[in-house]
Amino acid sequence: MSMDAHQRPSEAAGESFVKPDAVLQPPPAELLELAAGVSETPPGAVPLGEEEVLQERRAPSPLRESLRRLRRDKRAMVSLGLIIFFVLVAFFGPPIYQHIGGIYQSPQNGPVPASVYHSYYHEELIRQDEGPSAQYWLGTDDLGRDILARLMQGMLVSIIVATLVEVVDIVLGLIVGVLAGYFGGWIDQLLARFTDLMFAFPGLLFAIMLTGIIGPGASDALAKLPIIGPNGNGRLLLVSLALAITVWPLMARYVRGQTLQLKEQQFIEAARTSGSSDLRIIFRHVIPNLMSIVVVASTLNISNTIIGEAGISLLGLGVQAPGSSLGLMISDATPYINTHPWEILVPTTVLALIVLAFSFLGDGLRDAFDPRSKD
Amino acid sequence: MLQFLVKRLIGLIFVIVGITFITFIMGYLAPGDPIRAQMGDHFDYHTWLMLRHAYGLDLPWYQQYYNYLVHLAHLDFGISFKYQNRPVWDILKDGVPVSLELAFWGLIVELLLGIPVGILSAIRANSWIDTLNMGVALIIYALPPFVIAILAQVIIVWIDSKTGASWPSSSWGAPWQYDWADLQPKIVPILVYGAAGYAYFARLARTTMLEVLRQDYVRTARAKGLRERVVIYWHALRNALIPLVTVLGVAIGLLVAGTFFIEQIFNIPGIGRISLQSVIDLDYPVIQATVVLLAVGVVIGNLISDILYTIVDPRIRLE
Repeated sequence: MSMDAHQRPSEAAGESFVKPDAVLQPPPAELLELAAGVSETPPGAVPLGEEEVLQERRAPSPLRESLRRLRRDKRAMVSLGLIIFFVLVAFFGPPIYQHIGGIYQSPQNGPVPASVYHSYYHEELIRQDEGPSAQYWLGTDDLGRDILARLMQGMLVSIIVATLVEVVDIVLGLIVGVLAGYFGGWIDQLLARFTDLMFAFPGLLFAIMLTGIIGPGASDALAKLPIIGPNGNGRLLLVSLALAITVWPLMARYVRGQTLQLKEQQFIEAARTSGSSDLRIIFRHVIPNLMSIVVVASTLNISNTIIGEAGISLLGLGVQAPGSSLGLMISDATPYINTHPWEILVPTTVLALIVLAFSFLGDGLRDAFDPRSKD
Repeated sequence: MLQFLVKRLIGLIFVIVGITFITFIMGYLAPGDPIRAQMGDHFDYHTWLMLRHAYGLDLPWYQQYYNYLVHLAHLDFGISFKYQNRPVWDILKDGVPVSLELAFWGLIVELLLGIPVGILSAIRANSWIDTLNMGVALIIYALPPFVIAILAQVIIVWIDSKTGASWPSSSWGAPWQYDWADLQPKIVPILVYGAAGYAYFARLARTTMLEVLRQDYVRTARAKGLRERVVIYWHALRNALIPLVTVLGVAIGLLVAGTFFIEQIFNIPGIGRISLQSVIDLDYPVIQATVVLLAVGVVIGNLISDILYTIVDPRIRLE
């Protein structure tokens, strides 16, 4: 039982493999099983005889088998559908929405086209706190901004941050984890100490501190960047960086545990005996067999990342006005919870749905790649 | 056992030094001059130099860090930048009992609600009670604490508006006082605060209990004709509780992460709120103090659960 998974693990500790192995101990039994399962048909394995070859052809590959199991998992498939829907809405929703609707004669701003009043930062101060209407599909907030437009922008922000963080997470986690697991030595020691530190230091605390202290400067410095710079989004890069720093050690630990396991497998031994270099073994044999653990861990981590970004923005340290983020929408609407609960319910519900969808998809992926992890 | 504890203690010291170094160096490298920012329009070069010297900010970084550590060892967190002449501890001391109270009751909720519910689920595995319990726990666990907090607030406001009641949706009573006026505002925040840990313990208790119920000694106990109640509550339950003791560290980590949001959303004057305010004010000494306090809390929680682990599971001793 490992005791150091403070990173708000997305599953109960009693279950399954997405859990760091204790420092410098062999990985838990679940990992052993997973490793054994993965390596049943290792890439590059030399078939022993013709019978074996025939059997291999008949049996579906482990990957295909896993995907088949995933497709049968209703909860995971509904979650996947929901995620695809949210991604499509976040990317294609705003341009479509801004073409819907005629020119609005604003008493305050004169004639305003739909591309302006359906943007996430346009304020119509005399149309505050409205309910859903033909012009504002989900109503307006306390500054007369379109809630649907802000919601879609918030979803886009969540997706951008999640992508940035996962890229860093996977790249750093893979490099450090494979090096530590394959070569051991000082890299392994360093990783063990560093992960100890990061587990004792609540990740969110670190992110809050980093964004709080460097944030005001970063807002100005990053404001010139395209897309993620203007309209108060300058701190997004910083938030992503802070979150990425806190998550990659966990990924590195999973990867390290799995690599230690793989290293002892016969097909690696065979590759080494036949004269493959370490580099070749790592790229041809180790990394392909790490993919399932990386996919599962990063999917489960996406929900944590989205929670992290929303939380930091909720505390006022992330995206700044007039930008939008699900967390910022929540904190903007907090003072009006008594009079207009709708404004706070919309972003909260969407955030909850996104987070649940990624959690359930991650659970589904884990069960699909490692059926033995189920009770 | 002793060797294991010594090893953990060395690790603990390393972690604490690492944490203080990270917090120190972030404050040191942060852009902007806190003293200039506090002086605002009253900027005067001579005073600036004097204040800089008074706070020790004109020293090289390693001397500043050394001074910081020495003061920390004497439990002296320094003087606030924002409120001059006010020691950091003076700012924090009202928040500490509030946060401790919140964490204490939150932990009680987690353990006293989570574990029985998990055990019940395991005994009635795959019945509708189990499905309902685990479904709820799964959703609560996946959702961030602030979403649950906001939904709870919306429900309070809605009930207030429907029934004319005036249940407070965001405030806090006097710490460790339990008159109705003090208790009433605390109930919902504590329940929400404990929710994530509740779900965690419920799911974990179910898993471990199911595992224990599959063991040979449970079968033996049944085979020799013991009543089911004795088997479950005497033979199985005691063994199922062992792994739960050891994950207290995780539970404390969850509580620390939740502090900021629960205190911010429910307007509770604890460490989390003070820490956030100091981040916004760029009051570095206060930031450093709160971060060190919270992180040390997590580390000590981990150490306690490590010690409990060695006590309940002798096999770990040789590690």
